Amino acid sequence: MSKKRISLQTRIARHIAFAVVLSLVASALVLVVFRHRSVQRNMERAAQTYASLVCEPMVTKISFLGSSGNGILDQEVAQLRELNADVNRLDIVDVRGNVVLSSEGHSVVVYGDGMNAPVIEDRDLSRAIAGLEPSTAVVKEPSGERVYRVVAPVVDQWGVHHFSLVGTFSYAGVNRQLRNSLWLSALILVMGLGLTQWVSMTLARGITRDVERLREGVQRIQEGHLEERVTVNSRDEIEELAEAFNVMADELLATIQWLREANRELETLDQTKADLVANVSHELKTPLTALRGYLELMTDGELGGLPDEANRAAMICRKNVQRLSLRVEELVQLSRFERFMTLDPAREEVDLLAVLDGVIETFGPRLEESNIDLDLMVKERIELLQLNPEQIERVFFNLLDNAVKFTPEGGSVVVTAESNARDDSDGVLVSIEDSGVGIPRLELVRVFDRFHQVDPSSRRRFGGMGLGLSLVRSIVEAHRGSVWAESTEGSGSVFVVWLPRLESGSEQPLQPSPSDKLKTENGSGNQSEEG
Amino acid sequence: MARVFVIDDEPDMVDLLATILKADGFEVETDTDGRSALARMLADPPDLVLLDLMMPDLDGMELLKILRLDTKGADIPVLVVSARSGHQDQLGTLQLGANAYICKPFSPRELVRQVRQLLGSTDGEPRG
Repeated sequence: MSKKRISLQTRIARHIAFAVVLSLVASALVLVVFRHRSVQRNMERAAQTYASLVCEPMVTKISFLGSSGNGILDQEVAQLRELNADVNRLDIVDVRGNVVLSSEGHSVVVYGDGMNAPVIEDRDLSRAIAGLEPSTAVVKEPSGERVYRVVAPVVDQWGVHHFSLVGTFSYAGVNRQLRNSLWLSALILVMGLGLTQWVSMTLARGITRDVERLREGVQRIQEGHLEERVTVNSRDEIEELAEAFNVMADELLATIQWLREANRELETLDQTKADLVANVSHELKTPLTALRGYLELMTDGELGGLPDEANRAAMICRKNVQRLSLRVEELVQLSRFERFMTLDPAREEVDLLAVLDGVIETFGPRLEESNIDLDLMVKERIELLQLNPEQIERVFFNLLDNAVKFTPEGGSVVVTAESNARDDSDGVLVSIEDSGVGIPRLELVRVFDRFHQVDPSSRRRFGGMGLGLSLVRSIVEAHRGSVWAESTEGSGSVFVVWLPRLESGSEQPLQPSPSDKLKTENGSGNQSEEG
Repeated sequence: MARVFVIDDEPDMVDLLATILKADGFEVETDTDGRSALARMLADPPDLVLLDLMMPDLDGMELLKILRLDTKGADIPVLVVSARSGHQDQLGTLQLGANAYICKPFSPRELVRQVRQLLGSTDGEPRG
């Protein structure tokens, strides 16, 4: 895995930090919004209070002011201005809309008779000025500034509405306060972030410490220290996990011990089986030897001639004893190779042609009997190979036995040997071609399976237990060679064995093969044995 | 005529071996017990010994070891007859001092061939 590893602690810390930061930001925003609204409301209330405060003295003095209302209030308005910092301007407007007094900043202008007093033309404002109830509104100044406007009527003790006070109040102060609280929130956030980093890492470590301990324990068990146990006292799922893991490790240990024991038992059993096979083979072979020996002496006339009928019977006995011997040997070989198949067979330099000669020789009487022609064709000189002579003899014996068994009377078996390189490796190719019944295409691979017989009824017709070819494959593969079958159904089969020329560690150049006596003949090196 | 000593615990095997060898003109002595056979062989060494490996009491391997330790028995050619056909078994027997090895079940012809070969090689006569 090329993925970058992230520690669990970092992951948990990130989650905690994310949650903390999110809630911090949210609460800061909520606080700022609420504060903004309350500050704004305070300002507006203060503006209304202020407006009525300004109107108060005017009501008492209104009778003296007269409808022209000039000059008297300017000092008072100037003083009153100081009481509210948000006030932009104050105007006193008569009910017809004519501005009587206007105060902007620190300057106060009183419009007397004959002066070109401004006239209010805004319809909303005119209506508010004409009304007898105080009114408020948020309006936009021509400069674009948003302002709070309070219109308060000045009504005398007789209920006569003389003027209205129009006060415009700025939100600048409110905005300033809002800015300040925003800045403060940001500052707290930044400090909070630093704190969050530290707090979240600490919190996360509290959780991951146990997970880390669990991981270390598991790793030790994984490294093969099966007796290790994980100790976590977190009283939570991690402790449960650790306990579950310990139980698992216990079971694993128990299973492994059980397996070891079972394996030991199997080994003992295997040894017992091998001993049994050795004993059985001894017990079978000794009587077979006596039978075979006497039968051969009898039929060869060494014990005096037998009557024809008796001789024929003895010949049949002899043939069957030989078959029985082969089957016994097959069984012994199989049990042996089953045990040592995986091992590298002990090798020595072997003259393959001499082995083939030897094996073919043992078939003499059988060939004679069924009138089968067995030829060994050697196309070229065959070099010495590193082989296990006993096993290789078994390979060719079984293959020839098979070929002869399936070749009808009067047929022929041809053994061909030639040098052949496969997969960049020198070697020898031996093919055994019979003129027998052949093998169906689908069976070509399966013939090498143990106990496999192409045709179950062939067991009766041809004998054998289906072990021979399985043994052949085992041995050839142990020699790192290969074996396969080719066939045309009805016109015989070819079994091909390829054996590599394995170089032993300190291999000297191969000496000329003693098989040179079998001169390199092109095509027909006829070596029919005891035909 | 060469004298061959046959040792096997199976009377039938002894009989067969003796029959084969006698038919081929050898002089044959037999014994079915390893100990008495050893004593007889050391008293009057034969020209060749046919020895079975698996025998009760004193088995062929032990007998061969003792025979080879004695000056009289050290040079007698020994042909081992055994049911064990394993390469390792053969090699072990040869290392103990046997001269040749023949596996059961064998053909009488093969036995006679091996006996002749062994006698020929110790006599120094080349044989075909």
